Amino acid sequence: MVYEFRYLAPRTASELAALLDGHKTDGKILAGGTDLIPNIRNGLMKPRVVIDIKKYEGADRISFGSDGLSMGPAVTINDVLRSKDARERYPVLCGCAHELASHQIRNRATVTGNVVNASPCSDMAPALLCLGASAVIRSATGERIVPFSQFFAGVKKTVLVPGEFLERIVVPAASAGAVGRYMKLKRIAGHDLGIVGVLMTRHEGRLRFAVSSAAPTPVLVDTVTEKDSPDEAARKVLAAVSPISDVRGTREYRVHMIGVYVRRLLAEVR
Amino acid sequence: MFDDIKTADLAYVGKKAGRPDMVEKLTGEAMFVSDMELPGMLHAQLKKSPHARARIKHIETAKAAALPGVRAIITGEELDYHIGLYIVDKYILAKGEVRHYGEAVAAVAAETLEQARAAVEAIEVEYESLPPVLHHMDALKPDAPLVHPDLGTYSYVTAAFTPKPGTNIANHTKLRKGDVDKGFAESAYIVEREYSCPSVQHVPMETHVAIVQWGKGDKVSIWTSAQSPFTVRNLFCHAFKLPHINVRVQTPYVGGGFGGKAGIGVEPLCAVLSRKANGKPVKFQASREEEFSLLPCRSALTYRIKTGISADGRILAQHMTMYWDSGAYADYAVNVTRASGFSASGPYEIPNAWVDAYTIYTNKPYGTAYRGFGHVEFHWAVERHMELIASAIGMDPLEFRLKNALRPGCHTMTGEEILPGTGNVVKCIEEAARRVGYGTLTAAEKAREKKTGWKIGKGVAALQKAPAMPSFTATSVVLKMNEDGSVLVNLALCDYGQGTYASIRQIVAERLGFDIEKVKVAFENDTDRDPYDWQTVASKGLLLSGNAAILAAEDLLKTAYAVAGEALRANPRDLAHDGTKVYIKHHPSKSVSFSSMAVGLAMPNGNGIGGPLIGVGRYIAQGLSNLDKETGEGNPAIDWTYGAHGMIVEVNEDTGEYRVLKVASVYDVGRAINPDIVRGQAIGGMIQGLGTAICEGYIYDQQGRLLNPSFTDNKIPTAKDLPMEIECAVVETPQVDGPYGARGVGEHSMISVAPALGNAIQKATGAEITHMPMRFEDVWRAIQKKEPIDNWITKSPVGSCRSAPELRNHE
Amino acid sequence: MKIKLTVNGLLYERDCAEHTTLLRFIREGLGLTGTKEGCGMGECGACTVILNGHAVNSCMVLAAEVDGAVISTIEGEAQGPSLSDIQKSFEKHHAVQCGFCTPGMVMSVKELLVDNRKPSTDEVKEAIEGNFCRCTGYTQIVEAVMDLTGQPDGKGELEHV
Ligand code: FES
Ligand code: FES
Repeated sequence: MVYEFRYLAPRTASELAALLDGHKTDGKILAGGTDLIPNIRNGLMKPRVVIDIKKYEGADRISFGSDGLSMGPAVTINDVLRSKDARERYPVLCGCAHELASHQIRNRATVTGNVVNASPCSDMAPALLCLGASAVIRSATGERIVPFSQFFAGVKKTVLVPGEFLERIVVPAASAGAVGRYMKLKRIAGHDLGIVGVLMTRHEGRLRFAVSSAAPTPVLVDTVTEKDSPDEAARKVLAAVSPISDVRGTREYRVHMIGVYVRRLLAEVR
Repeated sequence: MFDDIKTADLAYVGKKAGRPDMVEKLTGEAMFVSDMELPGMLHAQLKKSPHARARIKHIETAKAAALPGVRAIITGEELDYHIGLYIVDKYILAKGEVRHYGEAVAAVAAETLEQARAAVEAIEVEYESLPPVLHHMDALKPDAPLVHPDLGTYSYVTAAFTPKPGTNIANHTKLRKGDVDKGFAESAYIVEREYSCPSVQHVPMETHVAIVQWGKGDKVSIWTSAQSPFTVRNLFCHAFKLPHINVRVQTPYVGGGFGGKAGIGVEPLCAVLSRKANGKPVKFQASREEEFSLLPCRSALTYRIKTGISADGRILAQHMTMYWDSGAYADYAVNVTRASGFSASGPYEIPNAWVDAYTIYTNKPYGTAYRGFGHVEFHWAVERHMELIASAIGMDPLEFRLKNALRPGCHTMTGEEILPGTGNVVKCIEEAARRVGYGTLTAAEKAREKKTGWKIGKGVAALQKAPAMPSFTATSVVLKMNEDGSVLVNLALCDYGQGTYASIRQIVAERLGFDIEKVKVAFENDTDRDPYDWQTVASKGLLLSGNAAILAAEDLLKTAYAVAGEALRANPRDLAHDGTKVYIKHHPSKSVSFSSMAVGLAMPNGNGIGGPLIGVGRYIAQGLSNLDKETGEGNPAIDWTYGAHGMIVEVNEDTGEYRVLKVASVYDVGRAINPDIVRGQAIGGMIQGLGTAICEGYIYDQQGRLLNPSFTDNKIPTAKDLPMEIECAVVETPQVDGPYGARGVGEHSMISVAPALGNAIQKATGAEITHMPMRFEDVWRAIQKKEPIDNWITKSPVGSCRSAPELRNHE
Repeated sequence: MKIKLTVNGLLYERDCAEHTTLLRFIREGLGLTGTKEGCGMGECGACTVILNGHAVNSCMVLAAEVDGAVISTIEGEAQGPSLSDIQKSFEKHHAVQCGFCTPGMVMSVKELLVDNRKPSTDEVKEAIEGNFCRCTGYTQIVEAVMDLTGQPDGKGELEHV
């Protein structure tokens, strides 16, 4: 890296909170590093202090309890894929995880990092939205819980304010067993950012859709019902998104493909 | 150099043989320039232009110079060296004006990379931005800004090129054969279409890197990731007016090149920094982003073809106009234009042909050689055109191709007669078609269509290429025998992955009759130690260097026989040898071992005879001539390698998504010296060609800024992008003057992959795609008959392939 | 800062700048230049090493983060003078051309084979999806792994017409 910074690795969550409080403007949290480090390399971010969130006790914990699946800030995408609880109870979460980048990146990138980054093309966000997951946010002054449906605030923006960090993601126990599929349109078959991505889940008679790369944030659509025709479902999903044209594809094609995916998913996810 | 010996009767040629570089590369021991560090070495970083065209008003370096660790800062203003391969049109650092986005305007060398970067950021450049000319077709307009107003004053290779001062045309190549007007008048059908493809990146996995030490007495040492050490030395000496003996160029292992490292690159920059830093070695390694915009790419092409066809499907006349986008500098692009001009029809007989090929300057990163040297791009056009003609005249495309394919007795566009030994394109086409079951769908394929709802289509595309090189291109090989009778092979043709050294080793072992384990080809080339080779380009390496290797082996044997004859008191004509000794044919027990002769033979009484055994082989291209500047007539081709791909693809008509189910590639290689290496070249090039076909290409905004200068938005194929089935086969029509009958195939595998895909997609869906690459969206648009995406220089954020700047971080 | 880590079975204790990537630390700090940089952005896999049992892009890891870790690089692959089985199979199948992607490629394959002794071709492709190779077209690499795991498909030959 050609830009210099200091590296700090707090050993407890409260030490972490205190450090973040002291570096609200010049500090950046390092989780998997798969976004932060390229950003620093490219000069897009120039933190003076990089605070490693992975080193405190329990940061890498992934566990299933009465309130659901809980994932700490150091839990990687492949940790999810390796977790028996995740695989058996939340196949949708694993389906999205599997679509994220390459194997090496999945070994490093974290679930929290993928959502805190708040990229419109986040692959984990659709799963968390459809499964009704929440973010447990912590700071030196306390803790708050925000459902992911209210977590994203814009392109690369979340409700987190300086000094706060995402301490845990909780996927509710009630969502366990949801079935679904994530369809991601890419330029190549190999690892790529999505041109669009659509996740559909079906659980206890309820349909949910989440769409990535089609609006400033990942979008949840929970207004589609089993009674809707495929065209009606596609119309409802499209009404919730606002894709743009960019180097990956035009707005026109994105709109078309979201419609195609909604119809395919309705036919395929049983 | 061809002796008609069956492969079965050969020991090594045509057989399986390992590569000599495996252990080093598999263990990480192979040393690339990027791995090298010299004592006291400084690190360079560059300040680059954010504009496509601008006047440099002022560069402020004082602040940067005062920073810690900074040892040299250079701007274009202090340098007055022009460099250029065919047209000498480029400064080492932009001077007065920047001509493309990403062009270097200032350079820093510092103790550490961090210090160099900090200094670069402290340099302030004041620009006056000027309206750029971006699209090569716009650059032809009479009122277009001139990228090189001084074109008339540049020196260039006059025998081959024709720049047009006062325009943006860096070269105009012409070819005239027969009477086109008459041909069109006699034609039953006339089909005219336009095809295009964007600029793309070579993407060698090792980016360009060099270390240069400008020593005292102007003695310059260069370590570089280049394909052609002698060309680097030659161009470097020309630019700096240094005697050749002062400059030494070394190329250790090189991490891929594909033509992008064929000429001179970052070496002069490091050199001027080293000189200014009082002779400390300076290293510069391009970042991946710099590889995309500072270093050259492949030229974009717009190709118009008008063809007259007889009622029975014979091509009678063809009018071809190629517009090549050179970018800001001519580099190899002018020669790409020339080579493509004489090959422009593909492997078909065109009795009346007219070609105009233009190389056009624009304000974009410049174009250079890239695997196929123009043939990937124009075969896209030609082979799509053949398909579209066939469908227009109601003939099967395969039948139409076979009817017009070159056969013995035909003449190429430059007037060269095709002979039985030239190669067999008809067989390649037929075999590729057969291997994909061209023309029908099998029961399994029909069932698959039914199950998936995706349409299956099969296409074929043919290809040809001859090495594009000066008519007097030469090379040499030296064999040196070691004390134990083993042999070291030195040559300056580089092996940067293509595997030529494995084949050379087989050829040397074969010709010497030695155990192959006793033959070593030295990696890591050095202009001070290796014998001359022009360049490692053009798929000419195996043919020229292979022949030189045979001659060197024969020379070494001749020398050994002379010594042995003296020692054994026998006439050398009565001698024979095996892998260890030379003996008298009719007294086989009377012999003298190679090891005893290797460095000079000691006779029983102590007298010495002979001396170190060395064999020298020199080979120069034969019978090539300059092309007439008005008609294109002449002989440019040392050999033609023909080939064809067959492709099966399944396409979703509703979305444009597709999958390649099978590719079958067939080449007439003369003789496959090393089958596994031929297959490696065949598959590697095919996948690279598929990358070009499916996703690769530079996208600019209207200011000429490259929007996708990284792997994030410039994808290349991964292992997951492999076709489901791949077959590679060779036809072996011996090349009469090729080593053991072989001809080159390094570039050919990349050619015509895209049109094979396009043809298969058309077969499946009827989509008439004329622009490359074929992203799913492009296919969808073609099927739906929607306007194509306004590729490559995007106009508006909506309805085009570009994000509005404020939304660009939407990812 | 001071870090301590085990690389290819050897314990190293070194000073390193806090902003140094693991890739640079391995190459410049330890002189293990087998691991390459192809992009510095996590896209190409040339920098793949095995960190605590997992293949990672070392260009996106800070050396400071891996204090105490166990790392394998290509230099640790061959034991003594002879190549490892993975390396031998790559050699046999011509799975190497320029060799620049090779160290990372071998590391990815190594990780795959730790808990999957009989991967399918799709699993092999997925394991090396993050390793760009511009030269070989991947096929001979996949064949090398399939052969190594006792599943050769016998198709990997040039055919003569
Ligand atoms: S160098 Fe690390 S992924 Fe490319
Ligand atoms: S062998 Fe050259 S990049 Fe893989």
